[in-house]
Amino acid sequence: MRLRGRFILVLAAGMLAVPWLSQQASSAEAVTTAEWALYKDKFLDPAGRIIDAANGGISHSEGQGYGLLLSYLAGNQGDFDRIWAFTRTEMMVRNDGLAAWKWDPATVPHISDTNNASDGDLLITYGLALAGTAWHRPDLTASAKSIAAALADGGLETVGDLVLLKPGKSGFAAADRKDGPVVNLSYWVFEALPVLAQLMPDGPWTQLANSGRTLLVASMKTGQASLPPDWISLKTVPAPADGFPKEFSYNAIRIPLYLIRAGDSDRTLLEPFATRMPDAAGQVRVVDIATGKTRHLLADAGYRIIPALVSCVLSGAPIGKDMQSFQPTDYYPSTLHLLALSYARRHHPECL
Amino acid sequence: MKPPLIIVAGIAGVGVMALANGHYINLPSILANITAIAQQGNALQGNALQGNALQGNAQPVAATQVAAQTNPPAPTSTAPSPKVDETALRYFASKGDTKRLEAEIARLKALYPDWTPPEDPLAARPQGDPQLDQMWKLYSEGKLAEVRKAIADRQATQPDWQPPSDLLDRLAVAEAREQLVNASDVKQYDTVIRIGSANSSLLTCGDVDVLWRVAEAFARTKREDRARDAYLYILRNCAKPEERVATIQKALPLLSRQNLDQLLATEQKTADGKGEFAAIRGDIARQSLANADTDPKLVIADADLAAVQALANDGGLASDDLLLGWYYVRRDNPQSAESWFRKARQKENSAKASQGLALALINQSRPAEAEDILYQWRDADDDVRKVYLAAVANLLAITPPPPLAAPVLQRMVQEVYAAKDAGSAQQLGWYADALNQPQTAAQWFKLALDWKPDDEPSAYGLALTRWKIGDKAGVREIQAQWAGRSERIPTVGERSIQTTVVGRGRSGPRQRAPAAQTDDQTDAGAGKARRSAGRARQQSSGCSSSVDPVTLSTEAALSRGWCLMQANRPVEAAAAFDVALHGRGKTHADAAYGQSLAYLAAGLPDMAAVSAAKAPMDADRSIEIRTALLESQAANAFDQGRYVETIMALDERSHIAPERTGLMVLRGYAYLKLRRFDDAEQIFRAAAGTGSHDALKGLNDVKTARELKG
Repeated sequence: MRLRGRFILVLAAGMLAVPWLSQQASSAEAVTTAEWALYKDKFLDPAGRIIDAANGGISHSEGQGYGLLLSYLAGNQGDFDRIWAFTRTEMMVRNDGLAAWKWDPATVPHISDTNNASDGDLLITYGLALAGTAWHRPDLTASAKSIAAALADGGLETVGDLVLLKPGKSGFAAADRKDGPVVNLSYWVFEALPVLAQLMPDGPWTQLANSGRTLLVASMKTGQASLPPDWISLKTVPAPADGFPKEFSYNAIRIPLYLIRAGDSDRTLLEPFATRMPDAAGQVRVVDIATGKTRHLLADAGYRIIPALVSCVLSGAPIGKDMQSFQPTDYYPSTLHLLALSYARRHHPECL
Repeated sequence: MKPPLIIVAGIAGVGVMALANGHYINLPSILANITAIAQQGNALQGNALQGNALQGNAQPVAATQVAAQTNPPAPTSTAPSPKVDETALRYFASKGDTKRLEAEIARLKALYPDWTPPEDPLAARPQGDPQLDQMWKLYSEGKLAEVRKAIADRQATQPDWQPPSDLLDRLAVAEAREQLVNASDVKQYDTVIRIGSANSSLLTCGDVDVLWRVAEAFARTKREDRARDAYLYILRNCAKPEERVATIQKALPLLSRQNLDQLLATEQKTADGKGEFAAIRGDIARQSLANADTDPKLVIADADLAAVQALANDGGLASDDLLLGWYYVRRDNPQSAESWFRKARQKENSAKASQGLALALINQSRPAEAEDILYQWRDADDDVRKVYLAAVANLLAITPPPPLAAPVLQRMVQEVYAAKDAGSAQQLGWYADALNQPQTAAQWFKLALDWKPDDEPSAYGLALTRWKIGDKAGVREIQAQWAGRSERIPTVGERSIQTTVVGRGRSGPRQRAPAAQTDDQTDAGAGKARRSAGRARQQSSGCSSSVDPVTLSTEAALSRGWCLMQANRPVEAAAAFDVALHGRGKTHADAAYGQSLAYLAAGLPDMAAVSAAKAPMDADRSIEIRTALLESQAANAFDQGRYVETIMALDERSHIAPERTGLMVLRGYAYLKLRRFDDAEQIFRAAAGTGSHDALKGLNDVKTARELKG
């Protein structure tokens, strides 16, 4: 693939700039005690589950993974342990060792869908690995290793020279649907992949990261939007997948956040997010991929801070004051908000 | 000294503790397995359960039971005990939480076989540690994640503090239990086994539910012997009567009878001398029949059959009669099945009982009764509807077409139409065709094709009926569509009657078309009625007296011939027609036609052929005679073992008339005799698609023949 060589170089540069160990060393209290208290008050059930109220009060493996990561970044071992206890006993039930993605308080059994969601699996593994090392907890590291192995074993799909992250183990591969394989680039938690490479050196994590970046470049060319669609069919050239809104939307808005948190500073990759993602007032645009037109706007600070962080990293323009203080709203934007703030706090203090 | 409260039995620490309420509980553990299982890695494979834990430790429980109330006060100091953390035990005792207390004693006994529980767990309360108490409180409330949090929080503020290992162990086991139960609830059986084998202390009589779940996981992952071992473990070690009985009930649907019998062999006598499983013997026999229903080859014990029959006769549960009905349906004994389904219906007339009865009737070639019985239940569910439609298809496929009351025909037509059932639509096509209503027949074949575009028999029927009504373009259209996909469709109309039998015909099919169209203005039922009326007109003169036909005029002889045909006296009819043959014109032609019908009815096809050639016939009649001749020829050839000729006759017949299901079956058997298994199977399958029982039997015969060959 023509673009690939360039992005391998980019990746290498990114990894050199921010080796994961240094990131981890500076992570303690990257989320402040006050921020975490606000967050957990609203989204953490005492039983250890992160509640997505906007989606009917369910919990999912993604939320549990974010909960682990944020409690780790807040240095709160008690909350970390209870989130992990819930995740382990309630959701790590699949035969293959991955997490069932959806836990619904209203159904019996609570696992209402046993499929996995690979971003959840990645986030959980990542949180466990970081905490295991920082807190000298071999039990956490061992669990991280076993989930990483399960992901490598059945969560990936190699197509040509690309290593793909299957969004879920069933339903997305070439064999499962007409326009398969279908991927979601926001499931590539780029910052987690070097950590997984340390956990499990013989896994294809570097190729996975490279493939994600390659696909990202290609997917920005699927329409007038010049932004990646949430769900992408890779049956032929990358194109918006059938059965999903053909939009740059809630999923894909995480991509630049993950890139930046992974230490990526490649301007050509990040620039479109600084320029095309926000409207003039800094709100995040949900964009029709084909026409490039705005479908609606996301005003929550947790969304707005993402293009603001990209701009700051690229040009040094500080993040707006109103986004610098954290007020919990909904689970998802609030999570993104803390991820952005904590990263700026540790790695780009000039942005605050 | 050994405290009287506890008597240790066996080598692996099987103990019995009598609790204050006099409720006995046996608390063995399969701790001895832990090493074995851990070494095996793969989850209780091998004989871990049976081979290690169970050896020698299954002492009779009753002998060791001692009632608590009778215990003398125990001394406060006992034999030197290992250093056992009794924090949890004392905590549960203090809270009166007997269930957890029991479980904790079982766990500690498993860990420390020489340890004996304190007489009075409340005697020595540990020194106050309110924070730890709080953790135990959370634990006993099942708030496991919050215990984790409390431990971590305390360690954050008191870096030197270490949680008691007892707490950590209990917590880990309780979490493993939750994970196992959750995995079991969503059928993730590998996970269940993985967790069970990594946490052997879960597998105790104190928590039989976990053992049941592990056993089920084995059974559901095709490791039935391991499942059996797990159930056997319970029965050899655990004493609670209700759990023992429930173990058999859990195993019932999951184990083969052979393995189940091993479980039943552990039966103990209850105080009143009965076997402890006596109450569920009936269920066991019922399961046996249910297994036999899913596997027609399974041979079950006569005792089971007799037991369920006795239950059905005495207890009066309709479900028992149903079990027996289904059993006999699957054992090709529709008469017995019918009898049981009728009994079930007497107890409780239900859709299922009616469905079974209808099936039993269809299998006895009594589809009219089946249709009648099942009609009111036709909407109950998909299965019932399928059987109803099979009854319809079988009823319509009877040769010659039976007289059907107009309302019955009408309701069948409605159901076939509503269900878009291609098979029955095709049969309606043949039915209409047999009643000389090719236009109606063509419509049904067309519908069947709309509903099932790849249905070759319907396409063939459509081609034939179009040919009969003279729609040559329509025939060509179908022939073009099916070129290369059907052998017989391209041959439709190839050899007309004029060139084969009659040879001097004047009337082509086209000339019939207007008459046929008027026929088809009405539905098949009305057509049938009119046809019967037509026949009745011909017998008006009466023929009951014995008359020498030679004395009659040719016209009178002709009338008498028809009359005798109606009276089913074909040989005399043939003689009467012979006289009429001396007549001229229409009388002569009718006589030739009548005589050939008479010889056919008398089973003399060769003479029928000769008669048919005595006068020219119109297309209708020549087709009728010719098809009957060929049919008869095919059957005779088959009876005489000339199978190639059978097929040739059927082939020729199929060019001019549809091959009804019965003839397809005949053709299938001819192929079978010629060992053309693929051809036989194909034709039986096509015929079976119409619900024909004979065709199903044919399919089975092909299978048997193939196996013999193999």
